[in-house]
Amino acid sequence: MSWIKARPYVMIFPAILVFTLFFLYPIGYMIFLSFHDWNFVSPVKEFVGFSNFTSLMEDAKFLQVLRNTFMYSGLTVFLTISISLLLALWLNKKGAMYGMVQGAIFSPHIISLVSISMLWMWIMDTDYGLLNWFLGLFGITNIPWLTDPKTSLLSLIIVAVWKGIGYYTLIFIAGLQSIPRDIYEAAALDDTNRIRTFFKLTLPMLSPTLFFLTIIGLIGSFQVFETISIMTKGGPINSTNTIVYYIYENGFRFFKIGYASTAGVILLLIIGIFTVFYFKLLGRKVHYQ
Amino acid sequence: MAEIRLENIVKKFNEDTVVKNLNLTIQDGSFTVIVGPSGCGKSTTLRMIAGLEAPTSGDIWIGDECVTHTEPGKRNIAMVFQNYALYPTMTVRKNIEFGLVNKKVPKAEREVLIREISDIVGLTEHLDKKPQQLSGGQRQRVALARAMVKKPKVFILDEPLSNLDAKLRGQMRRELIELHQKLGITFIYVTHDQVEAMSMGDQIILLDKGVMQQVDNPMKMYHDPNNVFTAEFIGTPAMNIVKRTEMDRYLPDLFKKAAFVGFKPEHALLVDEEWAISNYVIMESEILTTETLGAETIYAVRNEAGMMNIKSFTEPITNTKKIHVAVAYDKLYFFDIAEERIRHSYSHNTIPLSQVKKPALVGGN
Amino acid sequence: MKKNPFWKVINGIGLLLLICIFALPFVWMISTSFKTLGETMTFPPNWIPNQLLWENFSKAWNSGPFLKYFLNSTIVSVGILILQFATIIPAAYAFARYRFKGNNFFFGVTMVTLMIPTQLIFLPVYLQMSAFGLLDSLWGLILPFASSAFGIFLLRQSFKQVPEELLEAARLDQASEWKIIIKIMVPMAKPVLITFAMFSFIAHWNDYFWPLVMTTTEASRTLPLGIAKLREVDGGVAWNILMAGNLILVIPILIIFFFGQRQIIRAFVYTGVK
Ligand SMILES: Nc1ncnc2c1ncn2[C@@H]1O[C@H](COP(=O)(O)OP(=O)(O)OP(=O)(O)O)[C@@H](O)[C@H]1O
Ligand SMILES: [Mg+2]
Repeated sequence: MSWIKARPYVMIFPAILVFTLFFLYPIGYMIFLSFHDWNFVSPVKEFVGFSNFTSLMEDAKFLQVLRNTFMYSGLTVFLTISISLLLALWLNKKGAMYGMVQGAIFSPHIISLVSISMLWMWIMDTDYGLLNWFLGLFGITNIPWLTDPKTSLLSLIIVAVWKGIGYYTLIFIAGLQSIPRDIYEAAALDDTNRIRTFFKLTLPMLSPTLFFLTIIGLIGSFQVFETISIMTKGGPINSTNTIVYYIYENGFRFFKIGYASTAGVILLLIIGIFTVFYFKLLGRKVHYQ
Repeated sequence: MAEIRLENIVKKFNEDTVVKNLNLTIQDGSFTVIVGPSGCGKSTTLRMIAGLEAPTSGDIWIGDECVTHTEPGKRNIAMVFQNYALYPTMTVRKNIEFGLVNKKVPKAEREVLIREISDIVGLTEHLDKKPQQLSGGQRQRVALARAMVKKPKVFILDEPLSNLDAKLRGQMRRELIELHQKLGITFIYVTHDQVEAMSMGDQIILLDKGVMQQVDNPMKMYHDPNNVFTAEFIGTPAMNIVKRTEMDRYLPDLFKKAAFVGFKPEHALLVDEEWAISNYVIMESEILTTETLGAETIYAVRNEAGMMNIKSFTEPITNTKKIHVAVAYDKLYFFDIAEERIRHSYSHNTIPLSQVKKPALVGGN
Repeated sequence: MKKNPFWKVINGIGLLLLICIFALPFVWMISTSFKTLGETMTFPPNWIPNQLLWENFSKAWNSGPFLKYFLNSTIVSVGILILQFATIIPAAYAFARYRFKGNNFFFGVTMVTLMIPTQLIFLPVYLQMSAFGLLDSLWGLILPFASSAFGIFLLRQSFKQVPEELLEAARLDQASEWKIIIKIMVPMAKPVLITFAMFSFIAHWNDYFWPLVMTTTEASRTLPLGIAKLREVDGGVAWNILMAGNLILVIPILIIFFFGQRQIIRAFVYTGVK
């Protein structure tokens, strides 16, 4: 009898242990560290209260990092979702050609970010890059994509959008296909035009997908690291430095563990507030069937 | 011996008491049918016998062994589920074999058993198919085979035929009865269909809201209901039951102790108006609807006591709406205020129909 | 609707353009990996190399302990997969099928870990690993991913859909819970498990971040790190060698993708839709 009582706990134990050791405890530890000053080697962790938080908030570089992170995430998610939605409406058809296109636009999603970063480094190369060669055909020459602070973040956003579009499009297509045909037929009988049909029927029916993709898209973008680390190293002049890269630099290059942890805690807080807010506010407007 | 006894069985789900103090004995080798309206606790009772659900209190005995705390797999019970519950990823053969493997029956012996059983249920050609490739009736047979192959002492079936169409259902009913005779083991069969219960069972247990209403053989159940619930449950259409006060004008004083009076639709006669004899209740009525079913006709009539159903086996009446309903006194059932049956010792001589001077306009029975 | 031939042509051109935007970079990658260094600099780019320089691959492979990287990548990706299966199957079964105190709580904990970006908490995990003495070892790359909240979530959904009657039938057939999981639940959830396996394998095969953070010596580095290091070879970037290396990294995934395209796409989409 007691074995039967204990059994479910035994079965979830390994998974919960992993989560505790590598998620929950680290989060707690990170919060702990954010109140301390520590350089990773010294035996003492000096308690400093909120001073890490206050100095971070006054640190112009960190503020720029935050701005970069939000700019990057917001734009990436917005562009990916809008373009994918259009592509989905276009590509949601049967036929070998459409299947091929769907496969092609999806392919970047399974390629390592390492390869993608290198590929795009070359594509965006000022002198030998494919992109400038192509733009050159239209008379636009020598855009310093990755080396000019004005365009560097945008360049990374382009890469992220290029990589993400295929996945999002396919999810939207799946969403479109799950909308029952008969509501379109009903709309057609009511003589509804296409634009109206899209905004009044399709979009509301897609809202759960839209909602879900926004959430996972933002959470995914907040942790961008690979493209930055390989393509720009956060530069030029911090124009592409975002939060995970910032934590990495502070922790592993400057050994400011407390400082780095605080940055992590701040983003965690932001994600937390944002998620709750998003679920509370928008969650109600989402149309679930 | 595999007589099954339930002693003071109570089952609660949270605060809901679903089975209320059930005491019953299911005889060894019987074909016992548990019947009752939806949600009355049939499945729950069955699942407690199988060990899939533990009773809140009380004991369950199989033979002279108390199995209240025995695991389902160890009770020597096989069960056929309403939706068959075949393992969808296994072939028919593997489905039948699964329990045997778990019981560690040697391979050679398993082969023999499977061949034997699939022969009985006529599945031999389908052994290597997956359940999805079979028809409803074939799936049903796989479920039966899977249960039978374990040579259980008790065979439990929970509404096994409800997913089949009417024709197949009839056929499977006969096959199940034959199977029962062939195997000679105890069958417990759940249904909410009283026709199925009447035609299959040699013992019927009627449940309502978790309380046992009556246990009897089918004919007794039909002729001698214990209470209003049984009377209304068995038979189509159901027994007509009206408040005695509504019937007063038609009844002799003799019957005025009862709270309810009832009679079966097939026991009523439709007669012409001047015809009146003693020992019959005569009710002047109007025909509302006529339902012709071929061999029989069902009328819905209205009179001063209310609405009633009358079943007759002669040609339908088409020429008039006004008739008289006649019911012999000895075909009346009486119930007290608690809806329990009052069994009358009233003896009377109903005059046989043949001696009645004026023939019935349209006669039943 | 649009039978107009003009629109048909426009539509076709649009589709071709789409394919170009997404496929040309890979075509370039393949073509570059066969070129001489000089040819990589030609402008506009040569789509078909003048000759096939296979030695770029051996150069890339021999520029570091690539066999080691390759083995490490394989061990890590497969090891993670095995551990994940071992932890998520029982957990998902318990969450889906048992009522016990704390079911909702522990499942909630699992879902919270799903919402937290893993790369955000690498620093404390790193310190944790260092405390365990697992830094710079393959264990350090495997253990943090030994379970998957996402996998549990998917599998629980799928286990929940199995009708209760089926389990009861199995219990009456004297099957132990363990046997029910292995013989009934897992086969029924096979599509989801394959989906998850591909998802997980691709993610960890491609992973650059964790090995970068958790390893310090060649002995425990994986392929993506090795490839990234190719860039730092003596001064200027040898694009041909670099792309040859990338092709080595991508090929296993491309092979899987080639054979299981439908399944993989369905897998990723499925994980997104649920
Ligand atoms: N696991 C459970 N938890 C809570 N209540 C339950 C559970 N199982 C059954 N019940 C309740 O117990 C009552 C009896 O259910 P049971 O399944 O025994 O009915 P039944 O007689 O088999 O009905 P049917 O003919 O519809 O199958 C119902 O009211 C049902 O809601
Ligand atoms: Mg039932």
